[in-house]
Parts: sequence; C-alpha cells; structure tokens
Amino acid sequence: MNERALATLENCRYCLMCRHVDPLGLITRRETLTPHGIALVAVSEQRGLIDWNEEMIGVLYSEVDAGVAQANCVTDQPFSEAVALVRAELVASRLAPAAAYELEERFRRHASPFGEAPVETAKGQAETALFVGDEAHHLWPASVGAACTLLGALGESPVPISRGRSSGFLASSLGLIETARTQAKATLEELDATGAGRLVVLSPGDHFTLSQLYTGRLGLDWPAGVEIVDLATLLADGLRAGRLAFTPALEDGAYAYVDPTHAARTPERFEAPRSLLRSLMPTEPVELFWHRQRAHPVGSTALQFTHPELADALTRARLEDARSRGAEVLFCEDPGSLAQLCRHAAAHNLAVRGLYETLATHLKP
Amino acid sequence: MNLGVQHDMLRSELEEIVGASHISTQESDRLVYATDWFWLPQMWLDRGERPRTPDFIVHPGSASEVSEVLKIANSYRIPVVPWGGGSGSQGGALPLFGGIVLDTKRLDRIVDIDEISLTVTAQAGINGSQLEWALNERGLTLPHYPASANCATLGGYLAPRGSGTVSTKYGKAEDLVLSMEVVLPTGEVIRTPGVPQHAAGPDFFRLFLGSEGTLGVITEATMQVDYLPETRLFRALLFDDLSRALEAGRLLMTRRLEPTVIRIYDPRSTASRVKTILGHEYEGAYMVLGFDGDADIATLQERKALEICTRLGAEDLGREPGESWWEHRYDFYYPPQNLKLPWMYGTTETVSTYDRIERIYYAEKGAVESEYAAWNVDFIGHFSHWFHWGAMLYSRFIIRNPPEDAREAIRLHNRVWNTAMTAVLENGGMINEHHGIGLKLSRFMRRQYGAAWPMLEAIKRALDPNGIMNPGKVGFGPGTGVER
Repeated sequence: MNERALATLENCRYCLMCRHVDPLGLITRRETLTPHGIALVAVSEQRGLIDWNEEMIGVLYSEVDAGVAQANCVTDQPFSEAVALVRAELVASRLAPAAAYELEERFRRHASPFGEAPVETAKGQAETALFVGDEAHHLWPASVGAACTLLGALGESPVPISRGRSSGFLASSLGLIETARTQAKATLEELDATGAGRLVVLSPGDHFTLSQLYTGRLGLDWPAGVEIVDLATLLADGLRAGRLAFTPALEDGAYAYVDPTHAARTPERFEAPRSLLRSLMPTEPVELFWHRQRAHPVGSTALQFTHPELADALTRARLEDARSRGAEVLFCEDPGSLAQLCRHAAAHNLAVRGLYETLATHLKP
Repeated sequence: MNLGVQHDMLRSELEEIVGASHISTQESDRLVYATDWFWLPQMWLDRGERPRTPDFIVHPGSASEVSEVLKIANSYRIPVVPWGGGSGSQGGALPLFGGIVLDTKRLDRIVDIDEISLTVTAQAGINGSQLEWALNERGLTLPHYPASANCATLGGYLAPRGSGTVSTKYGKAEDLVLSMEVVLPTGEVIRTPGVPQHAAGPDFFRLFLGSEGTLGVITEATMQVDYLPETRLFRALLFDDLSRALEAGRLLMTRRLEPTVIRIYDPRSTASRVKTILGHEYEGAYMVLGFDGDADIATLQERKALEICTRLGAEDLGREPGESWWEHRYDFYYPPQNLKLPWMYGTTETVSTYDRIERIYYAEKGAVESEYAAWNVDFIGHFSHWFHWGAMLYSRFIIRNPPEDAREAIRLHNRVWNTAMTAVLENGGMINEHHGIGLKLSRFMRRQYGAAWPMLEAIKRALDPNGIMNPGKVGFGPGTGVER
C-alpha cells in the first residue's frame, strides 16, 4: 500500500472523532461504514487478516470522499486522499467494483456518466470563464443560463468552459486517477485558451475540485494568475456593494437552504447563499440540523453508481431533516445536489428550487 | 462460539424482531466490532492476530426489540454485548465469547427537552455531540464533555460511570442522570423513579451505573441539563512543586469556588505532553484553571482562586495557555499526538481522598518506574477530576519498545497493570474513576471489594441467571454469570 495512505489509515483506524458528523455512519449505524471502520478494514488487509473480496472492496468504496469527516477531523488527517490512493491501487489491480470500470469507459467515451453528447468546448476569449462541468450541463442546465444572467448583471460576460465534461472529482474519488488527470488537463487547456484571469464556479464541489483536488490529489499545477471565484460569494459581495438587487419573491412558505455536497469543505462560503436568500425572501431561512460545517452530502456523487441505495438514503435523510425543521421549499445551487434532491422531494412534500435561477428571475433591472 | 446449525435458526429469529437489514454477519462488520478502544485487542490486531469476533451484530430500534433479543439470547444461552460508540478503553465492549453485539445506535431519538425542569430525555444510543448540538440550539448544554463525546453514546456515558472535562463543577455522568429505562437480562423493561433524590427505599437504580451492560441494557435516560454559560474563563499557572499545586486544588474545592476545570500535569507530563501538544515549555507542575457561568461571578471566582494559587507560589501564565489548552484538549487523545501502537500504554487512573492521593501517585510511580526500568517505562500523570473530598489521578504508563510477540506483550502489559493496581489498592485508592472496569480490570474486582464482592455476585445471579450479559466483564465470568 502507498506509504502516505498507510500512514493516514494507521492513524484513522482507531480514531472515532469524526463519528458525530459522519453521514454514512449516521444513516446506517454501522461502525464499519465510518472512516474508522474503513481504515481498519484497509490496514487489516495489509496485515493479512482479510482479503480484498467483494464485501471488503464494497466497504472501501462506501464513503465517496469523506469530505465532511475530513473537514471536521480534529487532527487534520488526509483520510480522503488516503482512501483515493488505496482505491487507485485496487483499480490498477482490476479489483475495484465493476461500476468503477463502467464509469471509466463512460468517461473515456463521453467525458461524463450523465450524458452522451460531445463536450462543447469554449469559443472565444474573455476575462472571466465559467466552469460548467457535466452535472450542470446534463442534469441542471438552467443553472448555467441563470449564472450567465447574474454575471451579466455584474458586468461580466463569461465564457463557459467544460460544458459536458466532468471536473475529474468523480473519477478521482473512484480511484481512476489517470482519468481524472485527463479530465482536469482538458479543463485547464480549455481555460488557458480563453485567456481568462478569473474562473467562476457554481458549487462548493467545483470549488474544492479546482482549487484543492487538482493541485493536491492530482498533482497538477494551477495556472498562474488565474483566480477561482465562487459564484454565490461573488453575488453576495455584489449585493452587499449595491451592485445587485432583487425583487422580493412571492414564496410564503417556510424555506431552507441546503448546504450541498462538499459544502463542509468550503466554510468560507457558508453565509453567501443565505444572505442572497434573505434579500429575496420575506422571512429568515430555516436551518437544517445538518448544516454548514456538519452538512451531509445529498448522495449526488459516486455513491449513485457504486451504492445507489446508500445514495438514496443520504438524499432521503436530508429531505427528512428539512421536513422535521418545518421547511416546505428547499434552495440549493449545486446542480448535482439539485438533481438528486428533486428525485425524492415529492415523496417528502417538499419543493426544490435552484438558487441561481430564482435569483436570476428576481433580478432587479 | 461455534453455533453450527443454530446460526441460521437464530438469525431467522432475530430477523423477525429487528428486520433482516438490522442484522449483520458480514466479515467486515465482525472484524470492526471485534475491538473497542482497549490497547490489548488493538495490539492483537496490529500484530496480525485474529480476534474473537461476534456472531451477529444486531441493531435494535426500540426497548421492546432489545427485550425480545435478550429473551432469545436467554433461550439459546447466547452472550450479548451491548455496544454504544465503541470508544471504551477497558475492553468493556469486546465480544470475548462471540454471540450477539447489540449496537444501540438506532436508539437515537430525543424524546423530550423540558425547559422548565432543565432535563432532556433521550434514547441511549444517541451520539453525545449530536445530543449536545440539539441542546445548544435551545441555549442548553449537557455538561458532560468527555474526550470521546464525538463518538460515545448517552448510554456509554452512563454504563461505565464516565467523567467529562467539566466534571469538577457539574459532576460525573452519573450525577447528571435523573432516571433510566433499562431492559433487564431476562427481557423485562423497567423504568427507575423519575427523580434520583428521595427516600423511597434503597437507591437500587444506581446498580446499572457502572454495570457496563452486565446487569441490563440502558435504553433511555433523563439527564439534567444546564444553560450554556455566559462566559468561560481559562488560564494557566505554573507551580515549582506538585505538592503545592495539589494543595491549591484542594483549597479551591474545599472552599467551594466551583472551578469548571482544575487540571494539574505532573512535571513529567508538563515536560513532555504539554510541550509537544500545546507548545509550552515549562518545568514544574502545569495547572489549567477554568471557571464558567455568569461573567461577574466567574470573574470573582477566578480572582479568588488566583489569590490562593499565588499564595502557594504559582506563577500566573495568563489566559492564552489556558485557552489554548481548552481548544486543544482532545489533541492529547487522538492522532497523531495520542499514545498509539506499536507502543504499549495504559491509563491506570484512580481516585481517592485528599489525604491519600499524592501518596498514591508517588507509590504507583515508584513501583512502575522501578519494576519496569529495564523497559524504559515512562510514567506520566495529571489530576483532572476534583471533588469536595478528593481528586482523580490520571496516571499512564508508556513502554515504547514492547515485546514484538503479541502473547509476550500481553504478559508484560498485565504485569505492569498488576504493579500499578497493587500500589493503588495498598494505598487506599479505587482501581478506577471513570473509564470503567471492562475486561482490563475485571480481575481486580474481588480485591477492590473484599467481603462485599459476593453481594454483587448474588445480584448478578439474580438478574442474569444464565450469565448472558457481557460475560467476562466487571469481574463476572461467563456461563452462570459469576464463575471466573
């Protein structure tokens, strides 16, 4: 096993300090499906106590990226990176779950598991580029148009890039590191061609991937002079500076903001979407129990493919959280999270709205 | 235990109670539930040795399901090991004889928060931090902050009589409990009286506190809560001399200044743990002092405490080192700064009255250091849970190059424990203050209680006639419940 991965997993195997926030541990109540359990399984294989059989590999793939656990780790263990490294070894040994290889093939053919249309590469140059990715392009395209409208209101004319191409996060979390690098390099090349000095992202997941995962897990150089900006933060700044204004929305039910998948990894932006909603809605948002630093993922990433029943359980848990807090309408900005929430929302009597589309609709001229 | 054909029969019956999705016999689960936070089973796995695993991991969703599971276990004479967060350091959750591990984490509902009486009633499997967040939303707190709060459960707070960081002011978990729902080994569900202070006969409900699952399964508890304090004040002081630091602690407690925290690190801990983890380099006994509550009262209490400490020669190091200790208080116990394998280590914590506690410290330190000098044993300690009558000593031994052979390592580990506990018992200490007994201290229970021990054995026999509940723990053997 990779030495860095082993060192981390040795630290995590008997550490239980992220249990309180661990999403899968909470919904399954299984010790095994927590970072502690996963680490113990992995190091036990090293000690010859178990084999990498289907069950054990299933355990190793049960936490997508453990972002919430890592964001709350009291001693900053790079658990997510360690697990990704072990998965990469399993991929190389042809031991990974079949879903990983199927996804690898779909990435190779279509650059995304969500659609088969070719990637639409950027045309033209601009000071600002907008990272679209595959989830926004295929699953929630309205967010892209809304983002362009909102950026337009701030005087920006962004060039959309990576339209239909995965950011590389999904591949990297499955251990498909080379595939992830290929995708990331393609994104960086496209970005370079636009000449942009600023890249706007739609979600915390994209922010994490582009700002941390590319340089950390994938070992790529981020282009000098290019700043990554989170759209919600940019809009909140614009609102505060008086450069943006919204007409009040007509919704009168209790509403909540759902911190999307990966939100815990970008704490600096917790307040931005909430302040945008406050400017739009007549009442304060309801806070979910699992919010901000402890916000759970909504089941929108790799679990959909490797453990769909766990992905759906995570989604239902978020929706149940919202119902129990009295929310009727949920807002979110992350395209993947929105798509996953929508699949189950009706069963929980909840309406789901895209934050950017709602803002764009209520933009004051 | 080899269940043979019974296995599927038993599984089928358990499924009827909790549902198939709440039972696991998977190899991965059996491995992970084979060890808790006790050094010994962790070392065993570390050396590549196969642990004794449970046959079934069962996740009941209600007290009645727990009851039905126990009835089945009784009919088949199958061991049942209650499991909360698995964070116990004494081996209390080890499935020594296989059988059923009863994971209580589905029992995680908050039943009621009473903002008039300041109580919370919750199911026993609720996670400590999650319960705390729910209380914090209402401006309340359960003032029990053990280092394991992020993983431990409410039942796990109570079953081994745990202490938290602020126990010096607010008491141990057992002091915070008003009442409990308990499933007895034979399946009856009982509820103890609604208040703990009364004169309606003996205080028998306290039997379940410290029973560590050997006398039943705690499924719900009503706990006293407090308002979140308006302020928390911390500062650090340095004493040249451990005796003077202990005397300062005694005076703060006996004069009822209500400190939230008094933590005194012995000179060895000050030079090693405090330096490594907090980055403060001092010689002597490092004291952290905390007060909380209304700002004016806490400030006054702190001022009076400082007067006492400075009269005894303490140097006031100011707020920052105290606040940094509060911020990093858990770093002492978690990677990468924790005591960890391949080292051998143990926390031989004890409690006694003020007239004995310092003597116990030196007796234990002297015995361990002299007897295991060849192993370069490191003995460190701090005094962290204080009472009106005495204090708790959190002493630890560390051997950084233990025997490589797992069996030899166990022998040495047990010998060090024998030495430490003998020193404690001969000087009037208790074999434990808050980690509990589990497997680790089981063999010392008869010595601890002497002529009173048969009384506890008789109670065990009466409540658990088939000895199914957590056999091998708290001094009770497998089989009939008391054989060893």
